Amino acid sequence: MDLWWSLTINGLATGFLIFLLAAGLSLIFGLMGVLNFAHGGVFAWGAYAGIWAYAASGNFAIGVACGALAGAVLGFILEKTMITPVYGNHLQQILITLGVMIVLGELIKTVFGANPQGAQPPRWLAGSFTVGDVVMIKYRLFVIAAGALVLALLYMLIHRTKFGLLVRAGVANREMVEILGYDIRNVFLFVFVLGSALAGLGGVLMGPYVGVFTPAIGMEYQLLAFVVVVIGGMESILGTAAAALLVGLANAYVAYYVPPLTAAVNMLLMISVLALRPEGLFGVNRGEN
Amino acid sequence: MHRHIGLQRLGYGIFVAFVLSLPLFMHDARNQLFILTNIAVMAIFAMSYDLLLGYSGIISFGHVLFFGVGAYVTAIMMKNVSVSIPALLFVLLLTLLITAFLGWLIGFFTARLKSHFFAMFTLAIAELAAVLMEKAKGISGGSDGFSFPVPSFFRDKLTVAYVALISTLVIFVLLRLFVNSPMGTTIIGIRENEARMRALGYPVLRYKVLAVMISGAVAGFAGMLYGVSMRFVSVPSVFGINLTLDALLMTIVGGAGTLVGPVIGAVLVELVSQWLQLMAKSVPLLERWMLFFGLAYILVVLFFPSGILGGLQRLLILWRNRRRKAP
Repeated sequence: MDLWWSLTINGLATGFLIFLLAAGLSLIFGLMGVLNFAHGGVFAWGAYAGIWAYAASGNFAIGVACGALAGAVLGFILEKTMITPVYGNHLQQILITLGVMIVLGELIKTVFGANPQGAQPPRWLAGSFTVGDVVMIKYRLFVIAAGALVLALLYMLIHRTKFGLLVRAGVANREMVEILGYDIRNVFLFVFVLGSALAGLGGVLMGPYVGVFTPAIGMEYQLLAFVVVVIGGMESILGTAAAALLVGLANAYVAYYVPPLTAAVNMLLMISVLALRPEGLFGVNRGEN
Repeated sequence: MHRHIGLQRLGYGIFVAFVLSLPLFMHDARNQLFILTNIAVMAIFAMSYDLLLGYSGIISFGHVLFFGVGAYVTAIMMKNVSVSIPALLFVLLLTLLITAFLGWLIGFFTARLKSHFFAMFTLAIAELAAVLMEKAKGISGGSDGFSFPVPSFFRDKLTVAYVALISTLVIFVLLRLFVNSPMGTTIIGIRENEARMRALGYPVLRYKVLAVMISGAVAGFAGMLYGVSMRFVSVPSVFGINLTLDALLMTIVGGAGTLVGPVIGAVLVELVSQWLQLMAKSVPLLERWMLFFGLAYILVVLFFPSGILGGLQRLLILWRNRRRKAP
């Protein structure tokens, strides 16, 4: 039983970190149909910039803020310079964001070096405590709490505010929102920056979680985020969150109980969902596929 | 008009003669033959990529899968079964069959998906394949890889260079014939307007799967050629995502949807990267040469979506129009 608890906590923590990355991806895609292949690059920049600021200042909160800020700034620059010119052209969007991904990865190597980078949780989050027989690793619980908080805030933003109404309306029917006189481009810019900030936040939280990371972390977790987006559909925050947790938990359980399947579990999840429900487990089939 | 076509043929002839005479001017000491062979291999790989990206409008980020399969089929057969020319011919057959089948499998499951899903999916499949091969160290050698013997005919660098060059020319002609055939035009039609082609009664899905299969088989052949010329395979060198990125870069820079473009792109990218790597010894920043390629690639996508070839064509048209207007 205690083993089951450890695996579950581990899976939930991983799931929430992937959620931070996938949330932006699915919002950006749902709203404008832009599949951002550079999202993992923003995530990696969040990790590097955040951990650097954390090491320089000695304050974990500053590091976290810097990671998210780095994500937001990158998101703003990307949207203005890269996404706007090719808006509406899917092929070019995919090609250009992939190019941005390469450049972001190489820039990390140029600025921070290509060697593995270490990161430790701050002292107040280091170590663990036991409840009954279960060993609780503090940093994992912290990641779960932070992820749940972000999910709640994001849900409130999307479902309880005027701005969120615009986003939801834009996802459902973009032209109609534009006809009503709202500038959807501004909404999109904000969503893009928000999604990038979340990716940056996910990156900096991921640092101490994995302990050691390399610039390849961007591509690695981007693939997981893609899997999540496919499974969850591109419609709702809750769908993305559920899919992210599913992927996190599946990885944790399979890695322990069926180790040889570890590498394949995400792909198997994705292939089965694509084959059975191409619109995603929580997506709405609009008859487009 | 007739004279024009005659001139064009003469031009092609001179070009082929020039390409085929290239190895004779190369000095082995500076690895030039090796680079030339590499360019030819990448040109074939990039042409196969162009069949998808340029002609079918399908973005695959997992194209390296076929390349890796081709290279590993060659390596495993040569190492474990038999080192002879007939064995190599059998490898060729096997490579084409396996990669075409893989293409069919991937195409069948995913060609109905929209472009972004297909891109995502192929990326994931190729990464999965790389991870699985890495795990199967007993067969693949993992990151360390293994070297293997090839038939004595292919041990000479000059011969290998010729085989690679002639293969490039033959595949170029074959692909050219294919894209100009009714089948090829149908595929281009699907790229331009899928809904209309479906309305006209074409089995769109079947054509897309066919494009993935042919492209996969050609990529597998490029992988096989790589194996024969290197006599060494490892998971990162034949399954790494950077190979897909290279093919993408070459196709985009040269000009997608032209078949000549990827070849020009391959020559350019390989030469420039060799040069940058040489320069990196004195200018450390150039060690990150991929950064400059990435930036160049973004600029090309943004400002010259049709690549060097398309840009040249546009200049030519401008120049002709100007000349016509002049008194």
